[in-house]
Amino acid sequence: MIAAAWTCLLVPLGAALAITLAGNRITRRGAGYLATGSVAVSFVAAVVTFALLLGDSPGDRSHPSTLWSWLTAGQLDFGLRILVDPLSVFMMLVVSGVGMLIVAYSIGYMDGDDEERRYFAYMALFVFSMLLLVQGGNLLMLLVGWGLVGLSSYLLIGFWHDRPSAVAAAKKAFVMNAIGDATMALALFLLIQRTGSLNFEIVFANADSLGVWAANLVALGLLGGAIAKSAQLPLQTWLPDAMEGPTPVSALIHAATMVTAGVYLIVRTSPLFEAAPKVLELAGGLGAITLVMAGLIALVQTDIKRVIAYSTMSQIGYMFLAVGLGAYADGMFHLMTHAFFKALLFMAAGLVIHALAGEQDIRKMGGLRRLMPFTFVAFIVGTLSLTGIPPFSGFFSKDSILAAALSQGWYGQLLWAAGMTGAFLTGLYSARLFFIVFWGEPSAFVREHLMIGSHASGREGHTSHERHETHVHSGEGPPSMTWTVGILTVLATIGGWIQFADLWTPISSWLDPVAEPLVEATGTQELVSSLLAVGLGLVGIWIAWLIYAERQVRVPRFAQVQRLLEHKFYFDELYDLLFYRPSVLLATGLYRLVEQPLVLGSIRELVRAFREAGQGTGRLQTGLVRNYALSIAASLAIVTVVFVAVR
Amino acid sequence: MSSGWLTTALILFPVAGAILLWVLPLRPFAVGSTALLFALVEVGLWIDSVAQFDFSQPGLQLDQRTSWFSDLHVSYHVGFYGFSIWLVGLTTVVLAAAIGYAFWAGRERPRAFYGLMLLLTGAIVGVFVAQDLLLFYVFWEAMLVPLYVLVGVWGGAGRLRATLVFVIYTMAGSLLMLASIIVLGLSQGTFDLVTSGTNGSDWIFLGFVAAFAVKAPLFPLHAWLPEAYRESSPEVAAVLSGVVSKAAAYGFLRIAIAKFPGPVSEFRTPILVLAACGLVYGSLLAFRAPDVRGVIAYSSLAQMGLITLGLFAVNDLGLNGAVLQMVNHGLISATLFLLAGGIERRTATGELALLGGMARGRPALATVLLTAGVIALAVPGSAAFAGEFAILAGVFQTGWGYAVVGAVAIVLAAMYILRLISAVLHDRVGSAVPEGALDLRPAELGVVVPLVAILLVLSAWPAAITERSFVGSAANVVGRVAK
Amino acid sequence: MRGPDVVWYLAVAAFLFCTGALGVLMRRSPLIVLLSLEIMLNGANLALIAFSRHYAQGDGQIFALTVMAVAASEVVVGLGLIVAIARKHLDLDVDKLSTLRG
Repeated sequence: MIAAAWTCLLVPLGAALAITLAGNRITRRGAGYLATGSVAVSFVAAVVTFALLLGDSPGDRSHPSTLWSWLTAGQLDFGLRILVDPLSVFMMLVVSGVGMLIVAYSIGYMDGDDEERRYFAYMALFVFSMLLLVQGGNLLMLLVGWGLVGLSSYLLIGFWHDRPSAVAAAKKAFVMNAIGDATMALALFLLIQRTGSLNFEIVFANADSLGVWAANLVALGLLGGAIAKSAQLPLQTWLPDAMEGPTPVSALIHAATMVTAGVYLIVRTSPLFEAAPKVLELAGGLGAITLVMAGLIALVQTDIKRVIAYSTMSQIGYMFLAVGLGAYADGMFHLMTHAFFKALLFMAAGLVIHALAGEQDIRKMGGLRRLMPFTFVAFIVGTLSLTGIPPFSGFFSKDSILAAALSQGWYGQLLWAAGMTGAFLTGLYSARLFFIVFWGEPSAFVREHLMIGSHASGREGHTSHERHETHVHSGEGPPSMTWTVGILTVLATIGGWIQFADLWTPISSWLDPVAEPLVEATGTQELVSSLLAVGLGLVGIWIAWLIYAERQVRVPRFAQVQRLLEHKFYFDELYDLLFYRPSVLLATGLYRLVEQPLVLGSIRELVRAFREAGQGTGRLQTGLVRNYALSIAASLAIVTVVFVAVR
Repeated sequence: MSSGWLTTALILFPVAGAILLWVLPLRPFAVGSTALLFALVEVGLWIDSVAQFDFSQPGLQLDQRTSWFSDLHVSYHVGFYGFSIWLVGLTTVVLAAAIGYAFWAGRERPRAFYGLMLLLTGAIVGVFVAQDLLLFYVFWEAMLVPLYVLVGVWGGAGRLRATLVFVIYTMAGSLLMLASIIVLGLSQGTFDLVTSGTNGSDWIFLGFVAAFAVKAPLFPLHAWLPEAYRESSPEVAAVLSGVVSKAAAYGFLRIAIAKFPGPVSEFRTPILVLAACGLVYGSLLAFRAPDVRGVIAYSSLAQMGLITLGLFAVNDLGLNGAVLQMVNHGLISATLFLLAGGIERRTATGELALLGGMARGRPALATVLLTAGVIALAVPGSAAFAGEFAILAGVFQTGWGYAVVGAVAIVLAAMYILRLISAVLHDRVGSAVPEGALDLRPAELGVVVPLVAILLVLSAWPAAITERSFVGSAANVVGRVAK
Repeated sequence: MRGPDVVWYLAVAAFLFCTGALGVLMRRSPLIVLLSLEIMLNGANLALIAFSRHYAQGDGQIFALTVMAVAASEVVVGLGLIVAIARKHLDLDVDKLSTLRG
C-alpha cells in the first residue's frame, strides 16, 4: 500500500523531469502521452491504495511513511513523509482521476502549439505537487506541496508568455498565493515552538493544550493560506485573471484541484480549527460572503471562462461554508462533485472556444445548440449539476451542506440564507451563460466560423485561423477531446449517487476517522432545505430563460450596480491602492532618500574628508625657516618643562 | 594524504597553481585550462576531505598545528568543523565555476587574472579553516588583495570608484578587527581559537562585528555593495556575492558568537533589528532595481540579512538554517550572476527596460533562469526554502516580530524575482535583444548546470547539510548564550 | 678648583645660547642665521666644558670636540647653500626663500 502511494506521488514527477530533460528529442505528442500515462499510472496506484486501505478496519486506517529526513535542527527532525489515510486517499483519487482526464483532453486541445512539451511537463509537475499536498504526512510537506502547486499555477497561467496580460496574471496569482504561504509559515513556526514537531499526530494531540491565543493564531495563519489558495474573500482577485491560461489549466487547477486545497487543509487540520472555534466560524462566514459576491459578479461577465471562474469561487464558498460549520464530509463530497461538473463545464467551454478559433466573448456566440450537440448535452449536464437539480451530482452534495447550515443556530441560519441566495444566483448566471451561448439562432460570428465548414484551430484570445480544414461537419471537437468530456458528463450525472442525506453515507463513514463532523441535520431540515434550494435554482433558470432565451423580458439595468459588479466590487483597485502602490512608493522612496545618499554620499564624504584633512595638515608646511625654528624651540621648551615636572 | 596535510594542501595547492601560472610562459588558452584544472582538482581535494571527515564526532578534525610566534602563542593552526567543511566546498565549487566561466568568456591578461583567482581560492579556504586569530586575519586580508585587483582591472566602466569604496570600507572594518584581535590575543595569552575560552568584553566584540558587518554586508554598512557588484565582471561578482560574503557570516559564527556569549546577548536585539531591516530594505530595493545586476545585488543584501537573523537567533533551528542558507545563497547568487553575465554578453546591457522575450527560441536559458529564480525566491520545496524556514522558525523563538518581517520578505522575494524573470524572459522582445542571440552554449551550461544540479539535490535533501553541521546541539558547540 | 663657580660659566653659556637663538629667530639674512647658530653651538660647548671641569671627567670635552666637528660640517653645507642661492641672484632673505625650488 505504501509503495502504491509513493508510486502515485512520484511517477508524475518523473514524467515532468523526463520531458524537461528530453527537450526536443521527444515529440510533442509523445510528451502528451507520457504526461497522461504518468497521471494514469498515478490513478491506478491511487485505486490500488484505496482498495488496500479498505482492507483495514476503520479505526486502523492511518499509515505514515517517511523516505528520509528532509530538514533537521538539533532535536527537531522533519521528514519527507506521506500519510495514507481515508482523507488523503479520497483526494488522491479525485486529483489523479480528474487530472488524468484533463491531461488527456489537453492532448487534443493543445495540439499544434509550439510549446506543447513545456505544457505537459508543467502539468505533470502540477499533478505531483497537488498529490504531495494531499499526501503530505506533516505540515511541512503539506506546505511544500502548497508552494509547488502555486508555482505550477504560475507556470501554467503564464504559459503563453508573450502575452503581457498572461504574465501579469501569473505573477499576481503567485504573489497572492505567497501571502498565504507566509501566513501559513507563521502558523507553523508557532506550532514548532509549542509542540516541537509538525507531524499531524503530534500536533493534533497537542491542539487542545495550545492555549487560546496560540490556537487562534495558528488557525488564522492556516486560514490565511486557505483563502489565498482557494480564492476566497479577501484574497480572491487572482482567480479571474488566471483564466489567461489554457482552458485545461483552468479546468484542472482553477476548478477541480488547486483551489480546493484550502478546503482540504481545513478538513485535514480540523483539530486545530476546532481548538479555535471563532476562526472556524470566520471561515464559514467568509465562504458565505464570497459565495454571494461571486454569484453576483458572474451575472455581468461576458467572457465564457470568467463566468465559470466566478462560479468556481462561489462553489468553493459553499465548501468553506460547510467546513466552517464542521460538516467536513459534506464539504469534501461537494469538492468531489464540483471537480466533476466544473471540470466538465470548463472542458465543454474549451470545446466551444476551440471550435470558434479562440473566441471567448459570449456576446459573439449563440445558437451552438445544433452545431455542437455533444457539447450542448455536456453543458446541460454541467449546468444542472452546478445548480443542484436532481438527479445530478451537485444536488446531493450542495443540499447536504445547506441542511447542515440550517441546523446550526442563528449563525448557521444566516449562512443558510446566504447559501439559498447563492442557489438562486447560481441558477440565474449558469442558465444565462447556457442560453446565451447555445440557444436561439447561430450568431454572425458563429456562422462565419462553423457553418461555412471551416474548422479553424487557434489559441485562445486570438482569432487567427492557423489551420483550416474544410470539413462540413458539426464543428464538434476532435475525438481526442470529446471522449474525456463524455466520461466527465457521466461522472457529473452519477457522481452524486454515492451519498444521499442520512440514508446512504459511504463518504461520511469513510472520512469519519479523520474528521468527525460537528453537525447533523435532521430529516425535516434536509427536506425543507432541499426543496427550497431546488426551487430557487429552478426559479433562477426560469428567469434566465425569460430574459435570454425567449427574450421576453429585458435585462434590468441599474447603472451603478452594473458598474460595481463589472469592476468586481473594486477589489483590484483597492488592493492596488493599499498594497501595490505603497510598496512601489516605499521602494522608490527608500532608494532616493536612503540608498543614494548612503552610496554616493559615502564616496563623496570620504573623499571630501580626506582631502580636507590633507589640506589642513598641509598648511603647516609654510616653507619659512623661522617658523620651523620657532616650533623646534617651542617644542623643546615644552619637553624640557614636562620632563622636569614629571621627575 | 594524511589528514592535517590535506587541509594545508587545500590552501596551498591553488597558491602553487597561481605561482605556476605567473612563472610559466603559457599561451592564453593553456593558462585558462590549467587554471580550470587546478580549480577542479581543488574540488576533488575537498571531496576527499569530506570523505575523511567523521560527521558524528564533535570538535576539530583534519587539523594541523605548528607554532609560529611562540612568545606570542601564535600558531599555524588549521582544521575543519562540520559547518566549515561545507563552506569550503562552496568556495571550491563556486571558484571553479567562476574560473570556468572566465575561461569560456576570455579575459585579457589571462596569466594575471587566473593567478589572482587561484590565489583568492587559497585565501578564502584559509579563512574558513584558520583556527588561530592572527592566521585568520592574515587570510582575511589576503582575500582583499586579489579582489582589489580583480575588480579594479577587469571591471566595468565605474570600476575605480567601486574598488575605492569597497577597499576603504573593508579596510576600516578590518583594522577595527585587528585591534580587537591584538587586545584579545594578548589578554588571553594565546591567539588560538580552539583552546581559548570565551570573553565578555563588549568593545572587542564590536571590533569583530564591525569587520564582519561591513563584509557581509549588514545594513547600513552596505554602501560598497551596489557599485562593486555592478562593476565587477560576472564571475568576480559571483565570487564576491557567493563566497566572500559567507566569510563574513562564518566570522560571525566562529568568532563573534562562539567567543562572546555575554556581548551577543547584550547586542542581539540591535543586530537582529538591523538584519531584519536589511532583509526588507534589500527586498524592496531589489523590487525596483532597474537592472539585472541590481536585483541580484540587493537580493544578496536581503539574504545576508536573513542569514544574520538566523545566526543571532542562536538556537538549533537558526544556526542550522543559517549554515544551510549560506551554502544555498552562495550557489544561487553565483548562478544568477553567471547567467546575468551570459545575458549581458548577448545584449550588451543589463537594463531590464531594454530586455524581454528572451525565452522564445532559447529553452535552455529559460529553463535554467527559471529554475534558478524559483529556487532563489525560496519556493517551498527548494533548498532555499528549507534554510529560510529553519531560520525564521528559529528567530521566531527569539522574537515573533522578526519572523513576521521575514514572512513579509517571503512575499517581497516572490515579487522581485518574478519581476526579474518576466522582464528578461517574457512579454515582448526587448529592444536590446538581438535576433541572433543564441541560447546558452554548452560551455555556459557546463558552468551553470552543475551549480543548479547541486541546488536541486539540496532541495531534495537539505538534511545533507543540516544533519552534518553541528554535532549535538548547535548552541552547545558555539558556547552558552543566555536566551 | 680655582676660578669662578660652574654656575657663572653656565650663565654665560645660557646667555650665548639665548643670543644665538634670538638671532636665528629674528634675523632675516641666512648668513646671520648661520652665525647665530654658531653662537648657540658655542654656548653649548661652553656648558659642556664647564661641566667637564666641574666633575673632573673628560667626557664633556670629548663631546665638545665632536660638536665642533659637526658645527664645521654644517657650516660648510650652509655656506655652500648660501653661495648657490647668491649665484642665482635670489634675495638672501629667509622669509622669501620659502619654496624648495631653485
